[in-house]
Amino acid sequence: MPARNHKQWTANPPLKDGEWINSRIYSDPEIAQEENEKIFKNMWVPVCHESELPAPYDFRTTSIANENIIICRGPDNEVRAFLNVCPHRGMLIERRPSGSFMEGQASGNPKRITCMFHAWQFDMKGNCVYVAREKEGYQDRLCKEQVGLRRLRCEVKFGGFVWINLNDNPSVSLEDWAGEPFECLRKTLDEEPLEVFHYHKAIIDTNYKLWHDTNSEFYHDFMHYHNRVTGFNDAYFARKNEAFDHGHVVVGTFEVNYENYEGFESRADLSFPHLPPNQWYMVDLFPGFNFNLRGSALRCDTVTPLGPDKVLIEFRGLGLKSDSPEDRMTRIKHHNSIWGPFGRNLHEDLIGVAGQGTTMRPDTEPRRILHGRQENQTIHDENGMRHYYEEWGRWMDRSPIAPDMPFSDRDDGSQVVNAE
Amino acid sequence: MEHENVLEYKKMSWIKICSTTEVAQGSLKKFWAGVAGGIPVVAVHHKEGFVVMPPVCPHMEEPLEDSGVVSGCKLTCTKHLWAWDLQTMSLEGEAEKPLKTYDTKVEGEDVMAFITEQLEYDFEEEDDMDDDDFFNS
Repeated sequence: MPARNHKQWTANPPLKDGEWINSRIYSDPEIAQEENEKIFKNMWVPVCHESELPAPYDFRTTSIANENIIICRGPDNEVRAFLNVCPHRGMLIERRPSGSFMEGQASGNPKRITCMFHAWQFDMKGNCVYVAREKEGYQDRLCKEQVGLRRLRCEVKFGGFVWINLNDNPSVSLEDWAGEPFECLRKTLDEEPLEVFHYHKAIIDTNYKLWHDTNSEFYHDFMHYHNRVTGFNDAYFARKNEAFDHGHVVVGTFEVNYENYEGFESRADLSFPHLPPNQWYMVDLFPGFNFNLRGSALRCDTVTPLGPDKVLIEFRGLGLKSDSPEDRMTRIKHHNSIWGPFGRNLHEDLIGVAGQGTTMRPDTEPRRILHGRQENQTIHDENGMRHYYEEWGRWMDRSPIAPDMPFSDRDDGSQVVNAE
Repeated sequence: MEHENVLEYKKMSWIKICSTTEVAQGSLKKFWAGVAGGIPVVAVHHKEGFVVMPPVCPHMEEPLEDSGVVSGCKLTCTKHLWAWDLQTMSLEGEAEKPLKTYDTKVEGEDVMAFITEQLEYDFEEEDDMDDDDFFNS
């Protein structure tokens, strides 16, 4: 087709509902805010791994949908989560990204979470244990038993990841939500404790869904030039994207020929438990959590949207807690050679999504984004993304094609196409 | 190893904590009673003598070596102003619980404490409910 004028450029493509979407869902600040309310505040979110708080009184802080959160391990070894908000005057209680409550803060005591502002203190179960001048100030009108922390639903599951849901009554349990997509890796991840050996985070000028798209399709191998020209085999392209309820996708496994990658070696000696050598599994959970196991090293990325065109991505690399120092070094090398900041793939993926983000800033004109490849659900098929955006439409009650139209009103493609 | 140590100081009764010159009057200092890995104590040197006690405030487990102040015969934990008279052991200031102390004596230049087992305070945390009970209540 020749180049197009404005009318042609903004016309809808001759594809069916779901095979294309409107780029406004990547650009519109109102939609981004609504995603926090409708999706992220009701979703199971993997906030960290239990090996990142190994000892009683260890803690980490994080946030979901702008709500600040403390995760801590109690003396009973249980991991619990609370809003990182003082019930007194709304101060952010803990400012450090991670640490231990074993030693008291300047105005607090050992083993307590202390708000530095007025020295209120809390234990690892969220009980308020100290209110400054409780009797003098409140007489008997308010006591510490009434001002505990806001506890959040928190579970350690699927290989020791810590999952939080801001909704006290989620529409689905964590097991029912992600149990099926994790089934292929459950024995592998739960056989023995895992341990985080790599953590970095990046703030990228793009929409969080675009990052998940990149993790959900394997056909951007044109960009991963070195992967493409070495190491791939027919099995690579024959894998299928398998869709699961709740918008998740699992990419089928295959055996990678690492020996064919220049400078790489077989990972068979360090395979995770119960796996044949050099397998590659990928679990993509809606709305943006990715578990990627390349034989000897597990990568997990999680997204935190910071606006329509900004996303915080946290990257973790994991091995087995029982690793010898030598094995751990090898595992780290395997991890970094693909996913480290100087690895083969990560920076290329980031170039891809940053480029998309650049063309989809909030003030740009909405355009059509095509997800229409149909190739028998193999990795060149775009069924993973189509499945994702159907789930997105359901949570948002917005059509991905015509975001002002309720998803529940959708019928066949032609009707929707005419709506905008 | 640690277990053997426990047995060893369980056999003990009067144990030397420190010498009188190690803790100036009007101060306190932390020691480990018994052999390596023994029982943590503080020796408090007040106006009328020495008292050996667990190293934390009975209020909220504050280390007394950090926050304890000795004035005359009074020990004050400066964090929340719990205080005790170390001669009469009466509660002073904001204190709501008594101190636990080991019997203490001075023999020559040695400060001795009678220790058969570690004295501890109860800082029990309240239980919490099972997730489903909690979030549906």
